[in-house]
Amino acid sequence: MGKTKYMPSNGLAFSEQKDMEKLAKKAKQGWMLKKFAFMGYRLEKSEPADIQYSIDYRSLEKGEKEEYFELFQMAGWSHVCSNYDIHIFKAETGTQPIYSDPDSTVDKVSRLAKPIYSIAGFLVLFFIFSLFLKSVSIGIISQIGQCFHFISIVLLVPTIMMLISIHFTKWKVASSRKSSI
Amino acid sequence: MKSLEQLTDSVFYIMAALTEPRHGYAVMNLVEETTNGDFVIGPASLYTIIKKLLAEHLIVLHDESDSRRKVYVLTDKGREVLTEDIKRRKVMIQLAEKGLKGGA
Repeated sequence: MGKTKYMPSNGLAFSEQKDMEKLAKKAKQGWMLKKFAFMGYRLEKSEPADIQYSIDYRSLEKGEKEEYFELFQMAGWSHVCSNYDIHIFKAETGTQPIYSDPDSTVDKVSRLAKPIYSIAGFLVLFFIFSLFLKSVSIGIISQIGQCFHFISIVLLVPTIMMLISIHFTKWKVASSRKSSI
Repeated sequence: MKSLEQLTDSVFYIMAALTEPRHGYAVMNLVEETTNGDFVIGPASLYTIIKKLLAEHLIVLHDESDSRRKVYVLTDKGREVLTEDIKRRKVMIQLAEKGLKGGA
């Protein structure tokens, strides 16, 4: 394996397009996406290339993978890497986009939102639980409650921001469909 | 994609291609060839729509012996829905054609 370097992500819920453009820019400079890394990407030194990246969110059952990746391959998009249900593809610049239909793009955004809703739901329960613990006025348990309360708020705020951002994207795509003739 | 009551152009093309058993890539190709490249269905859209049509029982898996190229075909319900949408589209076209001719 050649030289590698790390590129941080701006957060897929906020700026997926920005991440993909940044990756394309890096590829032009000779740094190709190799795999996902913690909160970002691992790039590998290679020949500069004029390529574009696209991302898709999909949970694939056993036996669905082959067909899914084959369709992309045939359309000129080769699979680079996956992290759970997040898949990144690359293609030569000028290849038709992976989403051609606004309706299915809205579906894509909804698929991204799903796990974040589960996390938000869990955090809300955790928040309520911490309030309950806090209200118990005996020393250490109350202190633990105070601590949980703080943690849940710290985690809830970015989760809610992510959901707002996703809904904004969804609304943008949906309204662009209405206005496009 | 909420409901398929009114088919989008992509869904219409895909269903039209699946009046005969075809795999996804063949659908993509047929549409591109028929429209001389004017209408291209992206792989992510195609995959999403195939899953949606399966869930609504408008198409069924016809042959899965090749897991890379599963073959699908319209169901009776699918044929019905497509026929209805052809009627809807014909009304649009007839109105436009009549208007264009009548103006002369």
